[in-house]
Amino acid sequence: MNQKPVAAVRTHDVWKVFEHDGIAVEAVRGVSIEIERGEFVVLAGPSGSGKTTLLNLLGGLTNASRGNVSIDGRDLTTMSERQRAKLRLERVGFVFQAYNLLPVLTARENAEFTLLLRGMPEAERHARVNRLFERIGIGGLEDRRPAKLSGGQQQRVAVARAVVGEPALVLADEPTANLDSVSSAALLDVMTQLNRELGTTFVFATHDAALMERAQRLIRLVDGAVASDRRQDGTPTA
Amino acid sequence: MTGRLSLLIRLGVRNVRRQRRRSFLTALAMGLGVAVLVFSRALGDGAHEDWIQAGVRLGTGHVAFQHPRFQASGKLEDRLSSEAVQTALTALELPEVREYVAAAASRVELQALANSATAAVPVAVAGIDPEAERHFSQLGDKLIDGRYLESGDRLHAYIGERLAKRLDLDVGSRLVLTGQDATGEIAGQFVRVVGIFRSGLPEADERVVHIPLETARTWLQVGDAVTTLGVLLESGWDVPEVVGRLRVQLVDDQDAVRVLGWREAMPELDAAIKIDDYGDYIFHVILFALVALAIVNTVLMSVMHRTREFGVLRALGLTKHQTAWIVFSEGLILTAVSGLVGMVVGFAFTWIFFRNGLDYSFAFEGDFEFSGVILDTIIIPEFRIMQVLQSLGSIFLVGVFASLYPAYRATRIDVAEAMKFEA
Repeated sequence: MNQKPVAAVRTHDVWKVFEHDGIAVEAVRGVSIEIERGEFVVLAGPSGSGKTTLLNLLGGLTNASRGNVSIDGRDLTTMSERQRAKLRLERVGFVFQAYNLLPVLTARENAEFTLLLRGMPEAERHARVNRLFERIGIGGLEDRRPAKLSGGQQQRVAVARAVVGEPALVLADEPTANLDSVSSAALLDVMTQLNRELGTTFVFATHDAALMERAQRLIRLVDGAVASDRRQDGTPTA
Repeated sequence: MTGRLSLLIRLGVRNVRRQRRRSFLTALAMGLGVAVLVFSRALGDGAHEDWIQAGVRLGTGHVAFQHPRFQASGKLEDRLSSEAVQTALTALELPEVREYVAAAASRVELQALANSATAAVPVAVAGIDPEAERHFSQLGDKLIDGRYLESGDRLHAYIGERLAKRLDLDVGSRLVLTGQDATGEIAGQFVRVVGIFRSGLPEADERVVHIPLETARTWLQVGDAVTTLGVLLESGWDVPEVVGRLRVQLVDDQDAVRVLGWREAMPELDAAIKIDDYGDYIFHVILFALVALAIVNTVLMSVMHRTREFGVLRALGLTKHQTAWIVFSEGLILTAVSGLVGMVVGFAFTWIFFRNGLDYSFAFEGDFEFSGVILDTIIIPEFRIMQVLQSLGSIFLVGVFASLYPAYRATRIDVAEAMKFEA
């Protein structure tokens, strides 16, 4: 009997309700999705539709008010803060709109940050980062601090930091929003290539039409709920 | 584990260097605080040493051997027998004690009444060995008329200027000392004034009378006994060590002889120095509080300024504990650098400008008397390894405590909210 592989991410009737001045705001409403390993998924929708909040829920950066979120079959909602931190360190990569590299570290140190926290030996860390930097076109910039890199280069370092540990899932919040069209296209090429070659699962929150075009699967959110969920090749979603 | 720790410390160091101006100003404020601390402690300890030295010379020395009941009773029946004195002197000759001893002097002390043809005044008579006393109380150096007692003197007395005035005495005048002898009888002793001193200390100038030890023994019928064997040490800092060693040595003789440090033997002087110490402590606490505030302010500002960064660190998988460690290490680094620089500056400043002493005689006319002791108006700073270690330890503790709150604040950051933060 063929067993169904464990999904990279699964949410079941997940809700996030914020309190603002005593008023409950439902940022995410009953979202149930399942993202398989190696998928290239875009969460799209207007501002305030709940994309970033859903991304934060998927990454365990915020707790669900109700429902379940699991990564690699492990339920985040039952985990302690420390367990979630460990899971993020080992299984989740993040790419942020504002790059968010640590300004006091070099490009290499930023990229290998999570590997170092995981206790990987220096030689292996360096080898991985060198390979990745060459692959995504920033070879030779290893020793530069973020302030000495362009926006596109910084975002590539951020992508390298997210994927270098070979996570089950990379969550990217508007990764191209601060880039010009050329840098943006180049970055998308890098991420598409990593998805294809390494099988890394990407989930984006974006307004960027170019990114939506590249998505294998497009999930549209409206008012915190899933309005549509379709694969570009027409295969059904879970 | 080491790699992780090294990364977190590296982050701490670089973050301190990142806000160079802020870190520099904080380090400067802290460094100055530490320098003032070092300087004030060196001067304070120097003043205390001088104070103690002056006090113990006029009193019973750094260490006193007495009969176990003498301090409470003050009576001659509670005197040290000649055997007990010999036991004490033997203990002072031990190699582990001898190296600390500068001088020793035997005394027979008694509260008595001094009578002249015109008046009677209560006095503190001390039968002394002139040669030993010359190195001990140094009262002979305060001579203003006549001479100090000498070996071979018999019916001679060395008195203070105020006593001489009250009894209308000059060098060569006669007076009678009356007191209770060892048998409990009232006995008188005729003596002639051989010298008059002015110590500058009203109490001593009016009450202290030195007579030869043998004269006192005969007058008071104490045989070869004394009431106190006083010991001056090379340094007042060694008193606890020497007292401890002597007590161990004399444990079998504790019914006959008791070893007292100057704090026990002269509780008034001890109390006065403690009061002065408390003043210093309060000053140091204020200084430490200012240093702590500087650290809290700088590190906390840095935490607030880097809210988004801490959010990113947490998102990448750092635990609250690890995030706190980064902030904590920043506080410790600031403390360590500022503390060491402040120490060096403080020592250098004290050494360059005040190694020969801080002369504050301009503030006083005549002698500076405080708590029954005439103090030198030139303070020689004192540096001691223990003092340096204490200051370093105190600064380190201040740094640790001052860094805790910012570190705690860093753990309270809401990761998702932090991502929206604009510095």
